[in-house]
Amino acid sequence: MGFLAPWFFAGAAALAVPLYLHLLRRHTSTPQPFSSLMFFEPRTQSSIRHRRLRYLLLLALRVALLTLLVFAFADPFINRPAASVTANKLMAIVVDNSFSMRAGSRLADAKRDGLSVLASRAPTERAQVFALGSGLEAMSQPTDDSRALHAAIEAIQPTDSRGNFGELSRGLRSFSNSVSGPIDLHFFSDMQKSDMPANFSDLALPAKVSLTLHPVVTSAVANWAVESVNAPGQVWDVKKARVQAVIAGYETPAATRTASLVVNSKVIATQKVQVPANGRAAVEFNSLNVPYGFSRCAVRIDSDDALPADDISYFAVERSDPQKVLFLHQASDTRSPIYFGDALAASAESAFTMQSVAAGQAASVEPSKYAFVVLSDVTSLPSSFDNDLERYVRGGGGVLIAAGTNIGRASRIPLFGASILNAQYYSNGPGGFLTVGDTDPSHPSIAKADRWSDVKFYYAVKVDDAGSQVAARLTDGTPLLLDKKIGEGRVLLLASGLDNLTNDFPLHPDFVPFVEQTAFYLSGSERPGGSRVVGSYLQLRAAKERAVSVEVVDPAGRRPLSLQEATTAQTYQLNDAGFYELRLADGRQDVVGVNADRRESDLAVMSPDALSLWAGKLNGLNASTSEQAVAGTSASTPQKFSQQSLWWYVMLFVLLTAVVESWVANLHLGVRREE
Amino acid sequence: MQRFLDPAVLARISSLDLIAKTVVDGFVAGLHRSPDFGFSQEFAEYRAYSPGDDLRHVDWNVFARTERAYLKRYRGETNSLLTILLDASSSMNYSSHSVSKIDYARFIAASLFYLAIQNQRDAAGLIIFDDEVRSYIRPSTRFGQLHRLLAGLEHAEPRARTDYAKPLNHFQQFLRRRGIAVVLSDFFEPAESVVRTIEPLRFHGNEVVLFHILDPREIEPKLGEPVILIDSETSQRMEVTPEYAHAEYPQKIAAHIEELRTRARSSGIDYFLLRTDRPLDSALAEYLTIRQERN
Repeated sequence: MGFLAPWFFAGAAALAVPLYLHLLRRHTSTPQPFSSLMFFEPRTQSSIRHRRLRYLLLLALRVALLTLLVFAFADPFINRPAASVTANKLMAIVVDNSFSMRAGSRLADAKRDGLSVLASRAPTERAQVFALGSGLEAMSQPTDDSRALHAAIEAIQPTDSRGNFGELSRGLRSFSNSVSGPIDLHFFSDMQKSDMPANFSDLALPAKVSLTLHPVVTSAVANWAVESVNAPGQVWDVKKARVQAVIAGYETPAATRTASLVVNSKVIATQKVQVPANGRAAVEFNSLNVPYGFSRCAVRIDSDDALPADDISYFAVERSDPQKVLFLHQASDTRSPIYFGDALAASAESAFTMQSVAAGQAASVEPSKYAFVVLSDVTSLPSSFDNDLERYVRGGGGVLIAAGTNIGRASRIPLFGASILNAQYYSNGPGGFLTVGDTDPSHPSIAKADRWSDVKFYYAVKVDDAGSQVAARLTDGTPLLLDKKIGEGRVLLLASGLDNLTNDFPLHPDFVPFVEQTAFYLSGSERPGGSRVVGSYLQLRAAKERAVSVEVVDPAGRRPLSLQEATTAQTYQLNDAGFYELRLADGRQDVVGVNADRRESDLAVMSPDALSLWAGKLNGLNASTSEQAVAGTSASTPQKFSQQSLWWYVMLFVLLTAVVESWVANLHLGVRREE
Repeated sequence: MQRFLDPAVLARISSLDLIAKTVVDGFVAGLHRSPDFGFSQEFAEYRAYSPGDDLRHVDWNVFARTERAYLKRYRGETNSLLTILLDASSSMNYSSHSVSKIDYARFIAASLFYLAIQNQRDAAGLIIFDDEVRSYIRPSTRFGQLHRLLAGLEHAEPRARTDYAKPLNHFQQFLRRRGIAVVLSDFFEPAESVVRTIEPLRFHGNEVVLFHILDPREIEPKLGEPVILIDSETSQRMEVTPEYAHAEYPQKIAAHIEELRTRARSSGIDYFLLRTDRPLDSALAEYLTIRQERN
């Protein structure tokens, strides 16, 4: 028996209080006047003895109450042999099935070791099997059924996810809260160094968990991998498409590797690359000759190493014709089409072709044939085109309006609907121009630009920005770029011109990314890169598209979403490497290439010191036992004790004593009331 | 109408005049205004002389005719003399409830004065004493005598100790006519000493009445735990146990009362024990009824 907080025994000094009150303090009763003491006789000795006897029980109870309180705060405990708590002990078998366990026979070795540990347990000892990938997954319930546990270990399959030992500790911490007894944790893993969390303290386990590590490998293994691939997600001109890949070697000697570009299972290009020892090398394919539609592409190397799964990197490419853009301008304005057209041609990998039309000739133009429409300082449109353009926007089309000096003379912005407050000529003011003050970097048109910091604006139209989102403002607060949703479509308003007269924006380097991002934004054809990492999430729908069914086909050809999930799920986690086929809620088809996290390709293992530290000190064992906690270093098991706290039992006695003391004290108080 | 008047209720009435009127009218009305009640000395009967009787009461005319000595006894309408001796020592200030012994004595005295002066047209006087005579109001039938007596009662604040010798000697100096002497006290003195001191009044042909006024807790004290009691006259302190107060003390006070009653009666002195929780009119009615039967 011991005490966790023996210094609380200093509180025993409080026992002096009831002793003083009951025995030492002189009884001070209030003298009472009486008419005559003629018939009274003194009885002093008798009264003192009586008083002391009367309160003796109360004194004993109060002393006992204080003693028990001091005892409880000292937190007494008794040591019980660990064998006596075997009935409550739970063996936890955790097998690492992260991507790196695909190397060689690591997973098979881990499962075999797990089965042998399972066989060595006591027949009545309960056990539970877990698999550790990106998270801790229970493969069985706590049970002493050997066959069920055996089947659970055999059912563990390798995954493409990245391992994280921090997730093991986090999962065990929450799991231990639901288990009353101690947990004997056996972890079977390749102890990959890259699976360590950023902070070593994240590996700390609860005190009731004793960890035994079972490394299946003890040293690093050479491994080559396609570390990354940089390829466009969408191709309009195959001659301009480029594919770049990085080949990495981990613990490898210098070697020449052959990198192949595979399109739809056919090798279309091959290159030799010299990879330095334990280093990286880049390889570039100058053309990506893919057919129209989606193509499943990959960069593959020949490595013949222990982990062939990372020798290939998948990506998907969509090839389509360039989309047409309608550019309407004043007949006298010849500068705007040139600047905007050149910027469009220089960007977006030739995804768009521009058709320039004077505003007066737009009567016969059908807007719905274009990806989006640009109105450059146009004040009036043919009525039929005006109606068609409004229907086009409300049906989901996009329009960019540039407000030059002509619009400044009108009272309202056509289509956008905002009132023009005034036209401001900054060239007449001090400094001659204004720059951009605040920008919203989350807006697609500005995201890739450098906040337009050096662009000079000599003129701007000040409009009422009610009902629209302001993406950029000039330094005087004038809204410069406004975004308004009309029906299902969008209208962007640039409160200045595109003609290099009202500003120098067309000559500025930020103009091209602005045009490119605006084109993708308004046309709705912006497609993310065709390559993702295992564990990442894919957005299936926007919130407004709820109840529209989506479809996901995983690399194995399965449809992982149930019917309910297909109509409600907004995201989907990509768990396997390979190609996913998607039909999104907005009706678009897509193909995504998914690759394992390349940090799993580095097969370096944790140092023995780190393993000992994890297995020993961090879970409460001392240094001498930490070495034994790593399997294979010692066969003998020292006698272990578990501390069982008596705090609750003592507090129960405190409660009982307090109740009795209150009752006895109340009896004495009751006598006084009668007086 | 309430038959008995609670002393606690009367204590809330500030005027002794009103208290006396309330008490006397109450019990007189209850007794149908009997003409036999009063203190006046109307001849009632002859009684054979016995040694010790006052020779002044012997009817010498009868003796001349019959050569036998007879005492003349009185009742009836002639004016009498009522003198009340009120003990105003500190012990009379004790109270265990809303009425102290001195208050109760004041109520009794005021009621007797009212009865004598207003109803019987008798002379009445007052002696307030402790260890000496503090106040003396000569018996008189003059107009305003009742108010003087009541004022004297109101100014009788308890203090000092009790000594019966001085006031009684003083009383005897002023006593010229036979009358009724009423002593209101708690008599915390040995019964023998009390009776021996008061007995001389009786020898002068006076009718002496002792009203022994005690608080209920003086007869039956109730203590929950040992306490220190302080004697109100001597300031003596004494620790007293509940066992003694509940067992031995009642026996001693009862013996004292009984001895006082016995010695008083054997000396021809009327004795009445009055507890301060007893209704005033009830106490007076009992006393007057007994007097009537005796006369």
